[in-house]
Amino acid sequence: MIEFRDVTFVHQTGKTALRDVNLKVEKAEMLAVVGENGAGKTTLVKHVNGLLKPTKGTVLVDGEDTTKKSTAELSRKVGIAFQNPDHQLFSESVEAETAFALKNFGFSRELMDQRLNWALQFFGLEEYRNSSPLALSGGEKKRLTLACILAWDPEVVILDEPTVGQDAIQKEKLSGIIKMLRSTGKTTIIVSHDIEFIWPLQPRLVVMSQGRVVADGPADTLMRDEELLEGARVMQPQLVELYQRLRRRPDSPFASVNDARLWITGPVVR
Amino acid sequence: MGIATLPDIQRWKGLGSSMGEILRVQNLSFRYPEAAKFAVRDFELTIKGGEIVILAGPSGCGKSTLLRAVNGLIPHMYTGEYLGSVSVGDHKVSEARMSELAQTVGLLFQNPENQIFMFSVERDIAFGLENLAVPPDEMRTRVDEAMRQLGITDLAQRAPHELSDGQKQRVALAGVIVMRPRLIILDEPTSLLDPKTAVELVELVRRLRDETGITFLIVEHRLELLVRIADRLVVMSEGRKVLDGGPEEVLADERAAAYGISIPPISRLRNQLKRDGLPLENGFGPDDLAEELNREALGR
Amino acid sequence: MYWVAGGFIFRRVNSPFHSLDPRVKLLVSAELFVVSLTAYSVTQLAVVMAVMLSIAAVSKILKRVGRTLIFSAGFSVFIFVINLLASHSLLTSAVYSVRFLAIIISTSLFFITTSPDELEQVMKSAHLPRDVVFAFTTAVRFIPVLMLDAIQIVDAQKSRGLEVEKGNLIRRVRKMVPVLIPLVVNSVIRSGELAEAMESRAYGAVSKPTSLHSYSSTKRDKLVAAGSLILFIITVYIYVRFPTPL
Repeated sequence: MIEFRDVTFVHQTGKTALRDVNLKVEKAEMLAVVGENGAGKTTLVKHVNGLLKPTKGTVLVDGEDTTKKSTAELSRKVGIAFQNPDHQLFSESVEAETAFALKNFGFSRELMDQRLNWALQFFGLEEYRNSSPLALSGGEKKRLTLACILAWDPEVVILDEPTVGQDAIQKEKLSGIIKMLRSTGKTTIIVSHDIEFIWPLQPRLVVMSQGRVVADGPADTLMRDEELLEGARVMQPQLVELYQRLRRRPDSPFASVNDARLWITGPVVR
Repeated sequence: MGIATLPDIQRWKGLGSSMGEILRVQNLSFRYPEAAKFAVRDFELTIKGGEIVILAGPSGCGKSTLLRAVNGLIPHMYTGEYLGSVSVGDHKVSEARMSELAQTVGLLFQNPENQIFMFSVERDIAFGLENLAVPPDEMRTRVDEAMRQLGITDLAQRAPHELSDGQKQRVALAGVIVMRPRLIILDEPTSLLDPKTAVELVELVRRLRDETGITFLIVEHRLELLVRIADRLVVMSEGRKVLDGGPEEVLADERAAAYGISIPPISRLRNQLKRDGLPLENGFGPDDLAEELNREALGR
Repeated sequence: MYWVAGGFIFRRVNSPFHSLDPRVKLLVSAELFVVSLTAYSVTQLAVVMAVMLSIAAVSKILKRVGRTLIFSAGFSVFIFVINLLASHSLLTSAVYSVRFLAIIISTSLFFITTSPDELEQVMKSAHLPRDVVFAFTTAVRFIPVLMLDAIQIVDAQKSRGLEVEKGNLIRRVRKMVPVLIPLVVNSVIRSGELAEAMESRAYGAVSKPTSLHSYSSTKRDKLVAAGSLILFIITVYIYVRFPTPL
């Protein structure tokens, strides 16, 4: 579905943001990209819909070179929800906001209505249909930006720091939405440093540091690699840390980690 | 990161810790003009000098309003229906002037970008002192001291756009510390930082409290980072204070989750193990729990 | 967009010109401005240009001045063409367009080498009201921040299928709406937060705030100021006394 081949990206300012990135994401896969601020996570995902084109190397989406496509064409397949909803909300109503992209992509009136109704309903925004997007709460704004994207049904959904500024209740809703995306076969990429949010989703994990992909594998495995995480300045999930502390001594209670659960002589808690 | 041990700081230290109560919110209710509901209702809160208190609650529960009522933006900048009273140190907030309050209570806003005004770090830190017409010599000493305390002396000449997020946060905090407040409010200080940088900030707050006796009131969602250094955890819901106590005690309270507080995974596990009959003590980190589980296992 | 920003934003450089008292830099720049504006022959312009470019070279800002020149080249060509149509004289038109470039250089010498902090100092010494000075420095301070906002907004809307480059002029202007509204909204949010932060840090507590830095003129500053004034007077004298043909 998405392939990075030896991608290097140098900003106009001269700063190298990606170095020799090789990455292949299959259809319906769920990928989480972690790393400290400035590690190149956002730069990476901006290559998937062509907002940025590689300085060196190639990015392929569905087998096609992104340099040969416009961002609008690529966005039809790849929806990116950026971190700050205030950077995109502008319409007079929630309905018009959701319809914006559908109009840009030339949806027919009927299809538009159908998709719009579905999106507003699914994200629990039906009651705000005619309100101004700017009057919504932070959590509702976040869900609206997701509704705006899911409305055109892209094959790939990218979420850039979805949990920033969100409280526990909103995070739980977001987690549910992401699980739904996975179950409907969407290719999902989550950029986040909220490790406690990511880990229970059990994605394939890509760890970035200083523009490089330094590790790529199942979250459960990579999260146990203290040296890797230390080097990339990524936190370890609390339960994994506990597990490792228990494993360090032979006389500790038996502990194992499986499927984002910690087992201490029997399953205890997620 | 140099740690300041100037006599000056010694003098300053203890200002907060020795004087008992630093903040008293009495029966406070506040409603913005034209708002249907009160943002803060019948709020009671007392904080002792030198405490680190976390204020948690879901979005829209009135935390921001409460903070603004403590540092004086309410009622001096935002007017509305104001009932009850707030006192910080010797000042009654509604009667004191903003310039007096600025030297008693400092507020670090969520986005440091929007509170750095000047083009160089040291000039920005001096901003508050310039406004109070502090003489240049004294200002120099205090700015240098604040930069040393936050370990940003080498950034003195940098422009804001040359700083990382973590550095901006420290610069903004230095601009607050330089006013020598007795109470500092941090509004979601880690929300824009990556976890490692956030942990460094949390450690910095603990160190500042230990060194200077400044009291901290911190609004935060990411409890797993902050509960370790907190003396108290206060939970707010729909404008009211609903829980108030030691962090371990509040996190063990079954109502906390229902109020929309994100219970850190280790605390959740601890609560569950306790319910299952394990006689555990209190602690927050995976390290403490591992230790205790080991002890339990060996004892049996 | 980064490129444009790079041409205008101050960057700290260590050079004998940068380290001058900002008021002296303003004086030199103003003198050069007048001398460029009143130059009326190719020789005069050539000399003025040579002087300014040497100052730029000493200040290690030749590259950036060059970028500013490229940026204003379009307008310079426009001036050339208009004059050519009016006067039918190549020489006159060349003088006019080069004079425009000289004026640009004279002003950019000041702005490229003067930090907003120094600018503030100059404004204060001109006894402008504190609020005016503060509004000005804050505006300068937030240019890169707003620029970054704009980039992020354009990226977000392009990701929703907005094609800014397509269509005729009217359609293109209409396509700016999804970018401009969030930009305004964000600026309003920012200014609200700024106001709160100012208030919380005692802004306006006293009518005469102090300053961390005091700029006092050194001997060198005085020397440069006096020297440049003498040169300026001599140049004006030559302009008036010895009128040369184009």
